[in-house]
Amino acid sequence: MILAGGQGSRLTVLTENTAKPAIPFGGKYRLIDFPLSNCVNSGIDTVGILTQYQPLQLNEYIGNGMPWGLNSSNGGVHVLSPYSKSASSEWYRGTANAIYQNISFMERYHPANVLILSGDHIYKMNYAEMLASHVNNKADCTIAVLDVPIEEASRFGIMSADENCKIYEFQEKPKEPKSTKASMGIYAFRWEVLKKYLTEDNEDSNSSNDFGKNVIPKLVADGRRLFAYEFNGYWKDVGTVSSLWQANMDLLGENPLLDMGEARNRIYSRNYSHPGSYIAPESEIVNSYIAEGSTVYGKIYNSIISTGCLVEKDAEIHNSVVMPNAVIETHSIIRYAIIGEDATVHAYAKIGDDPEFYEKNRWDIAVVGREKEVPQKKILLPKEVY
Amino acid sequence: MGIIFSNIHDSSLGELTNNRTVASLPFGGRYRQIDFVLSNMSNSGINYIGIITKYNYRSLMDHLGSCNDWDLNRKNEGVVFLPPFATGDMGVYKGKLEALYSAVHFINNPRYDYVVVCDSTVLCNLNFRPAIRHHIQSGCDVTVIAKKVSEVPDRKSQFLIKANNRNRITEILIDTYVRPDTYEGMGMFIFSRKVLMEALEEAYSKGLTHLERDYLQRKFNENTIKLSVYAFDGFVLDNQDIPSYYANNMALLNKSVRDGLFKNDFPIYTKVRDEVPTYYGEGSRITDCLVADGCTIHGTAENSILFRGVSVAPDAQIYSSIIMQGTKVGRGAVLECAILDKNVTVRDGTVLIGTPDHPVIVQKGETA
Repeated sequence: MILAGGQGSRLTVLTENTAKPAIPFGGKYRLIDFPLSNCVNSGIDTVGILTQYQPLQLNEYIGNGMPWGLNSSNGGVHVLSPYSKSASSEWYRGTANAIYQNISFMERYHPANVLILSGDHIYKMNYAEMLASHVNNKADCTIAVLDVPIEEASRFGIMSADENCKIYEFQEKPKEPKSTKASMGIYAFRWEVLKKYLTEDNEDSNSSNDFGKNVIPKLVADGRRLFAYEFNGYWKDVGTVSSLWQANMDLLGENPLLDMGEARNRIYSRNYSHPGSYIAPESEIVNSYIAEGSTVYGKIYNSIISTGCLVEKDAEIHNSVVMPNAVIETHSIIRYAIIGEDATVHAYAKIGDDPEFYEKNRWDIAVVGREKEVPQKKILLPKEVY
Repeated sequence: MGIIFSNIHDSSLGELTNNRTVASLPFGGRYRQIDFVLSNMSNSGINYIGIITKYNYRSLMDHLGSCNDWDLNRKNEGVVFLPPFATGDMGVYKGKLEALYSAVHFINNPRYDYVVVCDSTVLCNLNFRPAIRHHIQSGCDVTVIAKKVSEVPDRKSQFLIKANNRNRITEILIDTYVRPDTYEGMGMFIFSRKVLMEALEEAYSKGLTHLERDYLQRKFNENTIKLSVYAFDGFVLDNQDIPSYYANNMALLNKSVRDGLFKNDFPIYTKVRDEVPTYYGEGSRITDCLVADGCTIHGTAENSILFRGVSVAPDAQIYSSIIMQGTKVGRGAVLECAILDKNVTVRDGTVLIGTPDHPVIVQKGETA
């Protein structure tokens, strides 16, 4: 069950009219491709995607699940939006409530265990190994954890576990973390336990119906068998503009932090029909990813250019992410920026700048929103959003 | 319905079709030749398609799979492979007419009144809908889809026609030098199904094999069929032999050719391979190239076509070449006017230099 409901308000204009999991990533992917592909690569063939914010593009993107091999007649991928019931109808009130409202969906497949995932994390993981340890430990719930630096630990849900990885304490975003094992928002539940706790949580009017705040602490308090599953690979929560930008940058370099090219655990996506990218004689490209269907006449350094983009002659792009089908017109200069899907940057515009010229709190990634048109000669300062 | 020939011109493309059909010959960075005609049919609403194969068609079946990527995985229609129907009294076919006869049970389907019969080597972006409308309105037995000859090249053409101003064909010339005021056939014909069925019965009983010569030209000269021409005015790339295959790949570096072949509202589909975008390293110098996804580039490439998953090592130099899927070019290698088939390994320092008329060809999987 992939929680994909979030509006992603910290991603500002990028999610103005689309759900966060539909945000483009890495030239030709969307955020939802990561948990979906991980599921398929782990042998999971029944997936529900829970969403309630601007689901149109996400629905269209998922379609019948064919690009991920999830178009099977038994199981497959289902987009689960809130619906009216005979007695009541309500929106999803939190992560736990969203899953609770879909108990009947899960029940149709008679699961032994249910995996709860988040739709806005970038990582490659084989859930089969996690589920195997979950079963071996006879756990009620297994939580994937990542070692984080102690100074960042207060941003996460923090587990304290014994030498057998059995969790004895859980703190949600603690001021004084007692451990550095941070929850990745990936939970494997025994089905009966999940059902019981979700039902109880729903009846508790004081609960905010959230896994991290309510359900997991309750399991710990009840002395249930909770285990931590340690993950050592690349993982990034891309909930903010700068983390989304950073995760894209992590794909670049000779030895990238996240290697998309390896044959194992490939990330699948819906492919549109574009010819190869055309790289013109006057272009210059250094340490960059360029996806198919792009046409490049300009200069590109340390950047990601997505499918179907046009970069005109004498345009310059430095350390930036250009999302699908964007047009960068001649003589515009883009530094440390994210240019949204289908956006147009008209000629001689200047977007973003190097961090070294700014005080730390006044600098961030500049963002041009989806389908926006930046007028000619417009200057967009760092941290500004258009 | 549509019929596509996958093998008819195999012999003209030499080493490149040793182990595959012309239909599955890679073209233009990420396509196989058949993608063009198949996408045109799919985009034109022709969803019931027979592919006539003869031999070497494993690569074609692998490429097409269930035809989902062409939106042709349909409940009641879709793509049907038609391998040779070799029985005691009829061996593997020699010409198109004979090949069509072996598919007679597929063609004789009363749900379809018209049959579009196509080669797979003529690449274009063509909507069959107006052509079929033209055929119906003309009242003719067969419509030939052809391109008007604008400049006269010094080469032979398999199928030249002359037509009057009402688009009725007045002369058919086979295997002759191209001359002005003619149309050059694109290997695409629209038949009324009943006409085609009669033609196939007659061809079988008389032992005729060649579609253009034994049927169209003979019947036309006997004045027993009416032929119409549908003039296509878009770009046409005809891969008749290795020099034209090489030149047509290179033509894709031209924006007007790309715009004529690849249209957002009428796309050319191909098999999806889930490759990552191409990575351009610190020392890469790519100019005037068409580059598919999944490549890793550290060297130099100019005026070249790089297919999916090609790797170019530092200091390698590639000029005016076609590098197919999965090929690895080693450090310091120099390639000029070369066609490297799939999964070729070019050792460090290898030098391969050809000419546009005689490009160096390295066969699939070999080491150079």
